[in-house]
Amino acid sequence: MAKGYGRPPTEGIDRRRVLSGAAALAAAGWSAGAGSWLLRPARTLAAAPIRIGIATDITGAFAPWGNANWQVAQFVVEDINRAGGIAGRPIELHLADTATDPRIAVGNVRRLIQEYRVDVVLGGISSAMRQAIKDPIVNRGRTLYIYPEQYEGQECTKHLFCTGPTPAQQCAELIPYLIKAQGRKRFALPSANYVWPQQLNRYVRKVIEANGAEIVFEEYYPLDQSEYSATIAKVRDGNVDCIFNTVIPPGVQPFMRQLYETGFQRSGGIVILIYYDEMSLTYHPIRELDGLYSCLDYFQAVDDPFSKGLQERYSQRFPDTKYPFTAGTGATGMYRGIKLYEASVKATNGDLAREAVSAAFDRAKLANGPGGSAEMVPGHMHCAMNMYIARCKAENNTARYEIVGAYDRVDPREC
Amino acid sequence: MKGRLVTRDPTSGICVLARVEIATFFVLLSMPFLLWSRPELITLATNVLILSMLAISFDLCWGYSGVMSFGQALFFGAAGYLVAIVGRDLGFSSIWGSLPLAMLAGLCLSFLFAAILLFDRIKPTTIFVALGTLTGSYAAERLVSGWQYVGAGNGLSSIRLLRIGPIEMVEGIPFYCLALMLFSLCYFGCRVLVRSQFGLVLAAIRQNEEKLPFIGYCVQVYKAVAFLLAGVIAGVAGMLFAYHQGFVGPGNVGPSLSTAAVLYCLLGGPGTLIGPVLGTAVVEVASYFLADIDTIRQIWPLLLGLMLLIIVVFRPNGLLGFIVSDRERIGSYGRGGSKQVRTTT
Repeated sequence: MAKGYGRPPTEGIDRRRVLSGAAALAAAGWSAGAGSWLLRPARTLAAAPIRIGIATDITGAFAPWGNANWQVAQFVVEDINRAGGIAGRPIELHLADTATDPRIAVGNVRRLIQEYRVDVVLGGISSAMRQAIKDPIVNRGRTLYIYPEQYEGQECTKHLFCTGPTPAQQCAELIPYLIKAQGRKRFALPSANYVWPQQLNRYVRKVIEANGAEIVFEEYYPLDQSEYSATIAKVRDGNVDCIFNTVIPPGVQPFMRQLYETGFQRSGGIVILIYYDEMSLTYHPIRELDGLYSCLDYFQAVDDPFSKGLQERYSQRFPDTKYPFTAGTGATGMYRGIKLYEASVKATNGDLAREAVSAAFDRAKLANGPGGSAEMVPGHMHCAMNMYIARCKAENNTARYEIVGAYDRVDPREC
Repeated sequence: MKGRLVTRDPTSGICVLARVEIATFFVLLSMPFLLWSRPELITLATNVLILSMLAISFDLCWGYSGVMSFGQALFFGAAGYLVAIVGRDLGFSSIWGSLPLAMLAGLCLSFLFAAILLFDRIKPTTIFVALGTLTGSYAAERLVSGWQYVGAGNGLSSIRLLRIGPIEMVEGIPFYCLALMLFSLCYFGCRVLVRSQFGLVLAAIRQNEEKLPFIGYCVQVYKAVAFLLAGVIAGVAGMLFAYHQGFVGPGNVGPSLSTAAVLYCLLGGPGTLIGPVLGTAVVEVASYFLADIDTIRQIWPLLLGLMLLIIVVFRPNGLLGFIVSDRERIGSYGRGGSKQVRTTT
């Protein structure tokens, strides 16, 4: 490991020589190579491995999301390797930390492609991250990219597949449900000021207005804003009865606390946070979460034997983990992404060329996954999957979700 | 200890600094041959070259003209943003247009800063200039991270590839050669400049700034010229960096990159031109490999900070200070000077 330049120049008797040769030593160190975060298959199979790169936020603000993605990736890949790999070839996993910082991410992701020569990259949490790393992966790196997180839609880049829910999947059922079944009439859209809420709200506005309800206000705040009394006054004065909230951490905690203190939920108001899953429930005092609505492709409450078994094996693999197997983190999208990739490579008979795998991925199907089956919609780069509307129930000091609506094979309606 | 530092081999006519320079350029030239099968290391080497230019631009400011500029990343990032936007909105990315554009961006912005910070009625102190440039850099970072047109917090990605005629420059050996060419031009340009009569005045400013006005030199003008040139070099580096990474974000204009430039320069040895290059190489190569080790990655920024602290306190002349004497570092001007260097310090 790069011993060449670890040696302080003072040690040598002939200092001049040491330092004038420093660059040469550095070069020697380079060729010595570096250890990577590499998960090798436990049993070495004879065939050359398939290299999968995971680029996700192991550190920084999105670290809990990224770590959940990474754990699920390890979990799935171990499963596949135990069963003999893909088309007889084992999978080798490589991790690049995107550190919640696109500037660092671009370098690390490029290393994944140039140094480890991965055959596919999965990952990215925020849309800012996806936009930053898709160019080094898809265009410059000529590699397949799979984005696992729920997002704002409209990503129609060739060789970039999205395995998380789209706005249509998350909102096309949820909002009519709230308007028709729950009688909501007046919506508010407080949001963090970045690309995901901005694009998502455009779609949400259309759905709300098409269903005959009204938007009282749509506002954007800096990501780290912690004072929301002006917003909450507007909620009260505007007689808002439903808040479609796209504020993200760290702003969402003070927002929810201040909203709860004004008694919005107690007087019958509904809060929606469509990226909230079981992991997010630990971010707030439980009382603030009662009655919260979310809509995702999987909740632990989903009564499906395969999902239950998956969940059980995951908790055996990672006992007492801080990063559960949930949907809002993109972990279910990660599961689907790797399994669909497995299906595609099986379909190409082990051919890893991007064009071939892309063509197979376009039609790939997954019979069983978290939340049920899923399949790519041919020609649309996105994935049709089951969607669930869930309501958070807080009792006995625990918060959990109850499924209030289940929808089979919801179309992503993208591209 | 110091007395033993023989700065010059009596048997040959080439001094230590020149040897280091020759060795460095030899290594840089041999990179494509050594690393032709390791594209990731070519990418790293290209990054080192580009960041070295940023470090050299800081060295011109601080090491040669005593302007403590914490704003080099501002010129660097602004040029990057400019070429990214021109590429996005006008579909233009030819080097014959981008290069002058980036130089102009660096020049205009550094002119603005020079006008405000260096030509105030009160003679600016080092701290004043440092805080002024730092504030500028910070303000620029906040500005671009809130400005939708330039991608706000997301930055600008998928930057058009740099073109030379019909050739698209993807990262790799051709890009490395381009970077090496521009780097060499900047390096030798600066080297000639700091060893010219102009450089002599800069050296005099370092020695005794108060005395120079009495001899008839307008100190601030000389400082400003060096500062503007540094701005131009930072602009060129920023352009290369944006095209090479394919991404430019608020972090590219912010104080953290500005501070990195300071670190590169102080680590390698300020006032030597080649020192900042070595400093950049050491920091970037070390962080590239150490980032793989879990425990070190977490404390790496802390280690860098400690390193900087130790250098500033114990080794103000940086790594090169171990082998290059002060006298050689400051240099000799004209023919008569070379004989003095022969003596030991």
